[in-house]
Amino acid sequence: MNTQDPNERTAEAGEYVLGTLNAAERQAFEAAMARDEGLRREAYAWQDRLLGLTRRLQPVAVSPELWARIAARLSGVSQVVATPARSGAANDALWSSVQFWRWLSGGAVAAAMVMSVLLVRTLVAPPAGVEQAQVEAPRYLAVLQSPDNAATGWIVETVGTDAIRLVQVGEGATIPQGKTMQFWTKPEGAAGPTSLGLVKPGQVVVVPKGQLPGLAERTLFELTLEPAGGSPYNKPSGPILFVGKAVRL
Amino acid sequence: MTDPSASLAGDFDHEAALEACARGERFALRALYDREAAWLMAVVLRIVRDHELAQDVLQDAFLQIWQKAGTFRRELGSGRGWVYTVVRHRALDEVRRVRPEVNLGDNYQALAEALPTPEREDLSHDEAALAHCLSLLDDPKRQCVIDAFVEGHTHEQIASRLSKPVGTVKSWIRRGLIALKECLS
Repeated sequence: MNTQDPNERTAEAGEYVLGTLNAAERQAFEAAMARDEGLRREAYAWQDRLLGLTRRLQPVAVSPELWARIAARLSGVSQVVATPARSGAANDALWSSVQFWRWLSGGAVAAAMVMSVLLVRTLVAPPAGVEQAQVEAPRYLAVLQSPDNAATGWIVETVGTDAIRLVQVGEGATIPQGKTMQFWTKPEGAAGPTSLGLVKPGQVVVVPKGQLPGLAERTLFELTLEPAGGSPYNKPSGPILFVGKAVRL
Repeated sequence: MTDPSASLAGDFDHEAALEACARGERFALRALYDREAAWLMAVVLRIVRDHELAQDVLQDAFLQIWQKAGTFRRELGSGRGWVYTVVRHRALDEVRRVRPEVNLGDNYQALAEALPTPEREDLSHDEAALAHCLSLLDDPKRQCVIDAFVEGHTHEQIASRLSKPVGTVKSWIRRGLIALKECLS
């Protein structure tokens, strides 16, 4: 796509919404749209321009059980948290912290915990303007380790006042074909774990605090190996890959 | 079942519903579902042509709405337009994965007969404007745009239906879209 020619941009955004881009073109457009606010604006405009075409169809009844099927799967879905306007700085900080943690992960966990305080306070500093609110909010960090060899694989850290973030910081587990990792949490004293969704190796998962059953000192986080699509039960069914408890910073 | 005329009225705040979904409020997704599921089912069924598969697609699409609601930006456009795009793209992924060749069976005929004309009296202002602007396009361009949107066909499928080169179809669609934008602005 010629990203300068206004007609080309309009046509490409229109085809994106229409659905006539092939898989490679669609990926390229989505990548371009992530960087280009004007292109995103074009795509939103097409969503609304073409919406009237859906009125050519008569509504079709859905099975009464469909909603129950959706609701049953909701807790397994990690929600994307909107990127704040000042995302550049935050991402840089995250990147630095991930690099740092990778380097650190071979070392002693005690040292890691100390370093984490510095990292979370300096590298993942909140954007200016929200600092005041965040001073009040307690911050937590959980270092998730392999029960087999105590290697640190992932960390869970609070992000601002509203969310937690799962980040891979060390050598991950090998996920066999047909399997997936599932992310769980359990506050101390809770009856059972709550699923926070499926996780791919290397993925950064942000979960709004509203979806956690609780977050306090010693809240447990773990990654388990599950069949593709997640545990068939409302609790882990496979082995623990990484596990750790939150500490307050 | 949703009253078919209900979604014409502007009394459902799709934008607020998506923002509530982004905050993890399940009742908002349920409200959106109650409001739109039957309409979205029609859109998906038209593309995937199988009732069971359409329900699976709709189920996945609602989970995607829940997952991605935080990326919706109300200052750029309507929540309803955003929802339909998420659902249509999920349906297109499915039909292109499962069945690259569209099977024009009896089911398709039955659906084609159910297609109402654009001159319905219950169209909103925007829908009437779109119908008007579509009517100003030459026949082949209008056919291509409608075929792509409603049937979910690719350039190649439309080209084979119309016995035209793929490049011609692609050019008709792009020129048709640019003309539509000008007419609607």
